Formats: sequence, C-alpha cells, structure tokens
Amino acid sequence: MLRLLLQELRFRRNAIIGWAIGLTFLPAIYVGSYPLFEAELAGMEAILDLEIYQAMGMNFGTFEDWLASTVINIVPILVAIYAVIDGTGTLAGEEEAGKLELIVALPIPRWQIVTVKAIALGLALFLILLLVAITTTIVFLAIESQVETALMWTDIMWGLLYTWPIVMAVGMISLFLGAFAPRRRTAALISAVIVIVSYFGSNLSSQVSTLESIQPLFLFHYLDATASLFETGPQTSDVLILLSVALVAFVLALIFFQRRDITVGAWPWRRARRVPT
Amino acid sequence: MTEFVIEIEKLSVYYGRHRGILDVDLRIEKGEIFGFLGPNGAGKTTTQRVLMDVIRPTAGKARMFGKDCQKEGVAARDRVGYLPGELSLYDNMKASQFFKMYFSLQKSNTNHRYWQTLAERLDLDTSRKIRELSRGNRQKVGVVAGFMNKPDLLILDEPTSGLDPLVQQTVMELVLEANQTGTTVFFSSHILSEIQAVCDRVGIIREGQMVATERVEDMTRQQFKRLRINFATMPPADAFTQEGVKEITRDEQGVLLEIRENLDQVIKTAASFGITDIETIPVTLEEIFLAYYGKGKGGNNA
Repeated sequence: MLRLLLQELRFRRNAIIGWAIGLTFLPAIYVGSYPLFEAELAGMEAILDLEIYQAMGMNFGTFEDWLASTVINIVPILVAIYAVIDGTGTLAGEEEAGKLELIVALPIPRWQIVTVKAIALGLALFLILLLVAITTTIVFLAIESQVETALMWTDIMWGLLYTWPIVMAVGMISLFLGAFAPRRRTAALISAVIVIVSYFGSNLSSQVSTLESIQPLFLFHYLDATASLFETGPQTSDVLILLSVALVAFVLALIFFQRRDITVGAWPWRRARRVPT
Repeated sequence: MTEFVIEIEKLSVYYGRHRGILDVDLRIEKGEIFGFLGPNGAGKTTTQRVLMDVIRPTAGKARMFGKDCQKEGVAARDRVGYLPGELSLYDNMKASQFFKMYFSLQKSNTNHRYWQTLAERLDLDTSRKIRELSRGNRQKVGVVAGFMNKPDLLILDEPTSGLDPLVQQTVMELVLEANQTGTTVFFSSHILSEIQAVCDRVGIIREGQMVATERVEDMTRQQFKRLRINFATMPPADAFTQEGVKEITRDEQGVLLEIRENLDQVIKTAASFGITDIETIPVTLEEIFLAYYGKGKGGNNA
C-alpha cells in the first residue's frame, strides 16, 4: 500500500509543483502590493457595495480584511479547481484512459486503491497549500515593516492551511463522483457546479435574509474568509463539518468503486443485476 | 484427478440490456495452453475481464486456482500475469520505471531483474518514456509486464496485436517456454495460425456463447475432411451430389471434395471411376473458425 501511495504521489509531483508555483503569484502579488494601494483602498467602500463584491464576500478596510478577501477567499477556490481535476482524474480519468484496468487487475483490493488515491489527493492539496502559504509568508515578511498590522507570519501560514478541509471536501466529492458517474467529464461538471454554486450561494445567502435558512447547505459557508479568522481561528464545528463531508464522500467513493465495472463507464443503476428474459 | 486452474460456470455479463456473454462454461486444466477465438464483440475480452475482476458478472461463477474471482479476487490474481487487449500505460514513466513499479506491486516468482531479460529478448528500449514508444513497443511493454513475475497463469488478450512477425514469433516462444515451466496460458487471438501452432485446446465464442471447445487436432480433424481424388476416368459433374458432400474444384485429373458425412459412399463412388491418386488436404483452424461463423455472422471481424 505504501508503494502504491508513493507511486501516486510521484504521479502528482509535477502537478503539485506547477499548481503551487502558479497559485503563488496571486497571493504574493496581493500581499506584496498592499503597501502601494493601502491609501487608495480606504476610499473603496463605494465599490465594495457593488453586489458582485458582496457576493464574493470582499472587504478591504484593514490589511487583515484585505488578506482575508483576496487570499483566504480566493486561494481555496483555485485549489478547488485542482481538487476537481485530480479527484475526477484519479479514478474516472484513469479508467477512461484505460490505465486503471492494469492496476485493478493487480492483487490489490479495490478499497486500498481508492484509499491510496484519496490519501495522495489529500496530501497533494495540503502540499500545494503549504507551498503557497510559505511563499505568501515570505512576501509578508518582506513588507511587514510597511504595513500596520498585528498579524504574525504564523497567522498567514495557518490562515491558508485552514482552507485545507474545504478543498479536501471538494476533492473527496470529486473522487466519489469519479467512482459514481459514467464519465470523467460528467463527474467534473457536477463537481464544478457544486463548487461554483456553493461559493456564490454561500456569500449571496449571507446577504439576503430570505436565503439565510439555506446557508448551511453550501460548503463555503463553513470557510471563514474574514479577518476574524486571524483573531479566533476557524470554528471547530466548521472544520468538523467539512471533514465529515470529506469522509462521507470518501466512504461513498469506496462503496461505488467496489461495485464498479471498470472500463464499462455506466451509471450504477444501468448495471444489470440479472440476465434479461 | 484433473486440476483446473480456471473454472467458469454459466457465466453471463450484461451491460444494461446488452449482452456481453451468456451462460459461458469453460474449464482450463493446469499446464494447458488454451486459445480463445472469436471476432470483436464476441465476448473474449469480457470473459477475461471477469476473471481479473475488472468487471462483475451478472450471473454465474468464475474461479481461478479454486478461488472465486470476485470474493477472493486478490488471492486469485496473486498468481496471474495479465495483458489486457486495450493496453494503456502511464505515458510519463520510462518503461524501466513502469516495470519496477509493476514488479513492486505484486507477488513474484522471480528476481526483480527478469524484466530486463524479457525486454532484451523483445528488443525493447526501457530507457525511453512510454509516450515516446511506438504502438508495437508499447505492446512489448505490456507483454513484459504480463510475463515478468513468472506467474502460474497467464491471461493474454491478443498478445501479439501490433507486433511485427518476428516479435510475434518471440512472444509465442515466450508462451511456450512459460508453459514448459508449468505456467497455464489462456489467450485470445485473431491470428488463428498462432493459436493452432501453440495451443493444446481451443474455444470458439460466438455472440457471447461458447460454440465449441475441443483439442486443436480434434477440431481440425472432426469438422470436415477434404479429399483430392484423381481418376482414370473423370466422373460426371453430379457424381458426388449427396448429403454432406461438396465439390470444391474440378480439373482434368480429378476433384477436390469437402466431406462432412457419407465418406463411405464417396469412396465407393470414386472407386467406380478408377482412383489413380487420393490425398487428404489438411483443414486449418481458420477454415474451422470461418465454418462456425459463416460469412459476416457473429461479429465484425470474422
């Protein structure tokens, strides 16, 4: 199982480095450019009243607000894209490409294959966030003296690593859909819709009182992308809910992959349970 | 007592309402080389995939080494080398990396360098990335992966597909060598001559159902005979017109007959015209296969 895990990580090595480098630019630019725009940002309240910014939960009042709105709010969305690509690619993608047949035919139980792929996906997501957190922290240390903030470099590190549960939940949902849907494209489409609806739904429902009751349905409701994250840390209940979602999705992936006819590409209910008469 | 390495009983696989295979019964003895014949879509790959637990049966049982392929699949596959028909590999790996990975993930009866010996025999450059390899060389990677652990059972789905004739010959030699050391081989192929050359028994599957399972020599002997008979006096055109007898060709010396029954009557009729020479023309497996299928029946590749 360890060998399979190492192999799965090896498959992801280039993707982890590539995504980490690509994602690093965004928080590095936002954090690094803050001293240049600090004065202008104070006069942007009018812009932030626009519905699109409200829907995205933006607030630029302080450095902490700026950091939460531009980094903590956006990075998990981008890492979630990787989670969807990897989550649907590792079972459904490999099945479609014909690579999974050789692995399934090895004397390895299917639950081990799914477990190893889930662990590798979780580690890949964590490593991407860690690399992004390290570079963001380095940029922060470079501008720290020019910014009025009580934040420590560890707050920035933790702030980004706290987003791991939500991207893990997205990754596991994608993994499950890869084991459930007939095609990777279908699984990726459903996963992407879940992410987009969840992100905008969470922010919109927090703005509209009549939608408040459905807020708990959205995954991003459980991600604190406000300055309060740096003061109190994430809510333990939010983290537990996101990890529970990830766990349930993983268990469903195990169940459906266990029953899946590899290479066939069919919805579970299309599987014949008896010979037609 | 006969030891069966593969036992398939009333095995059916349906994809929704589409038939994959239906009520397939098959037993392969330890030490046999069993050839599996049928055109595309007949059910060869489906049968082999059920054995490897890649897909699950709708009904029936499949066992390898006495173990249920689904419930005890890991133990059953522990002794099997498998080459899928639709081979797809990890393109970013070098062939050597792939072999090391594949070796590490399964039980082996040999040392970790045996894949190198196989690669050399197949003239495969293992230092190149798989995506840089031609289709034939990728197939060689699959062949090496199947054989590299010296398994007790080899399940090969068209192992020589995409290979040039020389390499095809080498693969067949590997099959025979593996068999001589006790490995049972179950392989499907479209190349009937190679099945005829190496197999002990052959099974023919048509539209998902087994239509024949016999020893190769019995099959080629029993189905029909072809006789070339030369005469002192040429018989009239309708001399051999009777049930189970077909005149294939005729020239000045004699006729070529395909005889399914009434051999005794044919010989008596021929004798009345003065036989000057008689020769049995061997029937190939290909002809038997086509006889089972007829033109354009049972698949798209017959």
